[in-house]
Amino acid sequence: FRFKDSLAEDLRKADLVISHAGAGSCLETLEEGKPLIVVTNEKLMNNHQLELAKQLHRDGHVLCCNCSTLVETLRSMDLSTLKPFPPGQPEKFALFLDKVVGFQ
Amino acid sequence: LTAVYFAFTGGHTTEILRLLSCLSESYSPRHYIFADSDKMSEAKIRSFEQKRSETFSNSQFTLDRIPRSREVRQSWTSSVVTTLYSILYSLPLTYKLKPDLILCNGPGTCVPVCISALLLGLLGIKRAIIVYVESICRVETLSLSGKILYHFSDYFIVQWPDLKEKYPKSVYLGRIV
Repeated sequence: FRFKDSLAEDLRKADLVISHAGAGSCLETLEEGKPLIVVTNEKLMNNHQLELAKQLHRDGHVLCCNCSTLVETLRSMDLSTLKPFPPGQPEKFALFLDKVVGFQ
Repeated sequence: LTAVYFAFTGGHTTEILRLLSCLSESYSPRHYIFADSDKMSEAKIRSFEQKRSETFSNSQFTLDRIPRSREVRQSWTSSVVTTLYSILYSLPLTYKLKPDLILCNGPGTCVPVCISALLLGLLGIKRAIIVYVESICRVETLSLSGKILYHFSDYFIVQWPDLKEKYPKSVYLGRIV
């Protein structure tokens, strides 16, 4: 399967997502409420992808592993430990901006 | 009415469109600026504006492309040259648009636009408010654009508390995308 324009439909049907640490992939999956295993590869990745993956892992929203530990993770995972991911709040930004430009 | 600028490209596009999702129609006309090498961003913006025009009938927006100021991992010296070139492009564009507000979220493309706006402000031509929102990917460190614009923006927004501690002049509103 080459590049599709949108994986949204596949995402909705999935029970488990295994992904690289790209922000878009992680956030979209978490927002759909799907369990996510993030596979990191520290040699290839940009540092900033790793930052987000580590933080999401620390907060208990994703499971993390690397390519060599993936099979082990799949065998021993307990997806019930994953915490739901609350959505971002762009309305807070809108309120802030309204104040800044004097639209209140 | 506030003329608004958005400078972004690529993955940042999704973030900036989310940021814009709750803005009132007073933020109009909207001018989008992005790198000329970016195809997907244009489609995303048009789709966003299309949906918006279903609710707000007088929605106005424009799209402008400027040369990309820096490729990923480009060397320092050549980055300075390409950024200067981008400033040459963005200065007349910024002058033409004379925005009241510039909103940007990270890609190198936003640096020349902000520098142009600062120059216009210094020359007394137009003073724009510069608001920079660091990407949600940035938990512990700032992007290069962030490090530069932390000193030049009017409001610098971060999305994780660690960054607020490291950069005290920043604003933390929680996760906003």
